[in-house]
Amino acid sequence: MLSVSCLSALLLHTVCCLYIRFIFWLEILFIVAAPFSPSQIPLYTKCITRLKVILIFYILQGRTLILKDLKSHESLYLVCITQLERRMADAGNKESAPIGGDEFTNTELENNKNNTMVEEGSTLLRRMEISVAEAEKRTGKNTVNMQEIFTVYLIETRPIDAITEGHNPAPDSLWRRYSEFEILRNYLLVTYPFIVVPPLPEKRAEFVWHKLSADNMDPDFVERRRVGLENFLLRVASHSVLSNDKILYHFLTEEHRWKEVVHETGFQAKADSRIKALSATFRVKNPDKRFTEMKLYSDELQSLTSQLLRVRARVADRLYGVYKVHGNYGRVFSEWSALEKEMGDGLQSAGHHMDAYAASVDDMLEEEEHYADQLKEYLFYAEALRAVCRKHELTQYELETASSDLISKKQQREELATGMVRTFSFKGMTNKLFGQETPEQREAKLSLLEEQIVQGEETVTEKTVECEEYVKGAWVDMQRFKEQKDRDLREALIGYAVMQISMCKKGIQVWTNAKDCFHKM
Amino acid sequence: MSACTPKSLASSGQKPIQEMCHPLGAEEAVLTPSPDVRNITSSIGEKDQILPNGTPVETSSPSSSSSLLNRLQLDDDLDGETRDLFVTVDDPKKHVSTMETYITYRVVTKTTRVEFDLPEYTVRRRYQDFDWLRTKLEDSQPTHLIPPLPEKFVMKGVVDRFSEEFVETRRKALDKFLKRVADHPVLSFNEHLNSFLSAKDLNKRQGLALLSKMGESVKYVTGGYKLRGRPVEFSAMGDYLDMFTQKLGTIDRIAQRIIKEQSEYLAELKEYGPVYTTWAASEAELQGPLEGVASCMANCSIALDELTQDMSGDFLPVLREYVLYIESMKAVLKKRDNVQAEYEAKLEAAALRKEERPTAKVPTDVEKCQDRVECFNADLKSDWDQWQNNKTQDFRQLLTGMADHNIQYYEKCLAAWESVIPVLQDKQPQETETEED
Repeated sequence: MLSVSCLSALLLHTVCCLYIRFIFWLEILFIVAAPFSPSQIPLYTKCITRLKVILIFYILQGRTLILKDLKSHESLYLVCITQLERRMADAGNKESAPIGGDEFTNTELENNKNNTMVEEGSTLLRRMEISVAEAEKRTGKNTVNMQEIFTVYLIETRPIDAITEGHNPAPDSLWRRYSEFEILRNYLLVTYPFIVVPPLPEKRAEFVWHKLSADNMDPDFVERRRVGLENFLLRVASHSVLSNDKILYHFLTEEHRWKEVVHETGFQAKADSRIKALSATFRVKNPDKRFTEMKLYSDELQSLTSQLLRVRARVADRLYGVYKVHGNYGRVFSEWSALEKEMGDGLQSAGHHMDAYAASVDDMLEEEEHYADQLKEYLFYAEALRAVCRKHELTQYELETASSDLISKKQQREELATGMVRTFSFKGMTNKLFGQETPEQREAKLSLLEEQIVQGEETVTEKTVECEEYVKGAWVDMQRFKEQKDRDLREALIGYAVMQISMCKKGIQVWTNAKDCFHKM
Repeated sequence: MSACTPKSLASSGQKPIQEMCHPLGAEEAVLTPSPDVRNITSSIGEKDQILPNGTPVETSSPSSSSSLLNRLQLDDDLDGETRDLFVTVDDPKKHVSTMETYITYRVVTKTTRVEFDLPEYTVRRRYQDFDWLRTKLEDSQPTHLIPPLPEKFVMKGVVDRFSEEFVETRRKALDKFLKRVADHPVLSFNEHLNSFLSAKDLNKRQGLALLSKMGESVKYVTGGYKLRGRPVEFSAMGDYLDMFTQKLGTIDRIAQRIIKEQSEYLAELKEYGPVYTTWAASEAELQGPLEGVASCMANCSIALDELTQDMSGDFLPVLREYVLYIESMKAVLKKRDNVQAEYEAKLEAAALRKEERPTAKVPTDVEKCQDRVECFNADLKSDWDQWQNNKTQDFRQLLTGMADHNIQYYEKCLAAWESVIPVLQDKQPQETETEED
């Protein structure tokens, strides 16, 4: 009797524990699977409380059957809680980067499953403050041993933990020039072909309206480039995949050895073949339709943004002209006021307002350059997007080629084995005409074919996996890119509208002042 | 009969111009028309009229009160009762006849003056008639500044004589012309003005007799007399007019240049907006914002177009009118110089004769010349003062108008951009769904 009640109690206990563990697992899944969103913080807090309670329960229940499981799971649960808490803390902090928030996408989820949870899930940017603080001119010898002047940019980094602990240590810093950024980007492009890699700011000033200098040494250009380079680094460092790259880390931390290290990866060779592949023409039979659509979209985006930039530059030019001519009013009003008695004062002050009006356009157009830079970023992004789609076509094409190769080899084997000629071949004809080969020759051929078929099958399998993985990874990143693009461009448009509003308000202000002066004439 | 006043004037002898009463001022009690005008002389806090050379004018002449009146009239019609002659030009209509096509304008007159038979008149006049009137006024009142007319000749290919803007611009200028004439204390009593306003059919051959009478005393196109000493104030007037014309010319050029630049800006803007629309077609979520921006730019383009039209229609014609005004004024100044030169010459001749025959008295024609000079100077001075006031008002109005147009343009653009902000910020419901992927 006692044993039955004991047993039932034990059973009940087991069932309870199992049930609790089931709930537990559900919670974990929820936390891990769903992308982190700051709005869900209250929910997470509740989860954590429950988990902690259950953990304590488990610890107290140390002698249950599930002890074994507990040892392996406990650490997991603890880790989950820690990570969640950290994420929540981060969401509360202000980010040092203006752009590039964390996107906790499916890619990251997969990474989470594969590696330890603490390392992944937090991009480089979470752990480190990065900025491109300054720009300086240097002279040096270039590749053809001639003197040249170039600009270097100061990259400053600082681990976030160092800051949060109360003291403010000096950042580590190193100098890099634009060409080194280019090398880094090229490395990233070949290493992560399925990622839409953030672009660098333009190499040479394009889409300029006439007053803006097209000179690379112009201080305004250098400043905008500095901002662009910082933006590039922040975007890369907050990307869930790219931010974990070692070479990136070296770029940010090792001033001198970096170039050797990056070249040792052998990326240069891949970079060259990549460029060839991008421009090659081949016929792919069955590409993923979504990628074809994306490629079309990227082409449209490229042409539209470049058209927009061109027209905007012309509009800026004309606007400049309108404002500057009003400056002439300033001069003539001042001259005229010397002739007049009553009207003199009013005219003179009105003239000053006209001068102010004419001068105001310089700042306004400089501000608008920021909008142009945002558009340019997406012009270049479109290129990167297109490259990702092309790479898919390439891998798909390689798969198709490998498959059709395999099929033809199998057919050949069949023909050899059965003696039946299915397809027309010269060998077949000559065989018929001049007699067949010797059995030994056939055997040799067959075994060769078998080898090739085995290899071929391996290749096809490899390629299929490669293709599938590529499609998966690329699609995820393209979705991430799409969301980022929608967000960024929306913000850019808002910024542009705000600029226009401020311009209108200034215009109203100036003309109202002038009107008052005229009234007093 | 003296050319400057409707009644005869006793010769005031050789007095310096500062101490001379204005011809009309001396006749204060005698003249009956619009007594109210005269009564206002010192009741209105008028500021001292200062001649260009700095000496204050002693008398409070009706010229200053009428100019003050002008200011009141143009600013607000509160003192409507003090005016007794109201004219308006409106209602342009096209007339097509076998020979030609032309525009006529309706001229409405309301008056209480006794010179007019009826208190109200409505007639139709065409530009030619206005031109006739002006010529008549110039000839019959050569010592006065006659307001200008809008440009007479328009190149047929360049400007459409029958377009709404052109007709409206012309109508406004003609209206201004008549109003200025009607407000002038001397010109408004001119008989030609009377016939212009009241006659059913203008008999344009009327003025011939009158013309010949006045002609000899005034026509000094090539007087052949050399001017000895021009009074300082008239030199100053001449200089001022020269410099002022220059400035006006510069302003006209600047305004034209601005209009040109704005048109080019508008052309680019019209290309800019549609690119956003094209882009919107390729986008899903950004479609709304992009189309919002495109429509906003379209609105700004419309506003800019209106600004350019307004400036072309309101600003430039007034500038040009003043340039013409100044030209006619310079001509009058020249006439005055000639009259003075003739007087000086005759005076010299008389002095020489006096030396020879001390008993001979001053010939009457010398006295007449002196009268003419003094009259001319007085008229010119009073007209000048009035012109200066008118000019200040006109330019105040013009420039304020320019500022207003620009303010309106910016306000329209501001409204457009502010209305697009909520469209841009509008969060689509799809955004939150994708997060729960």
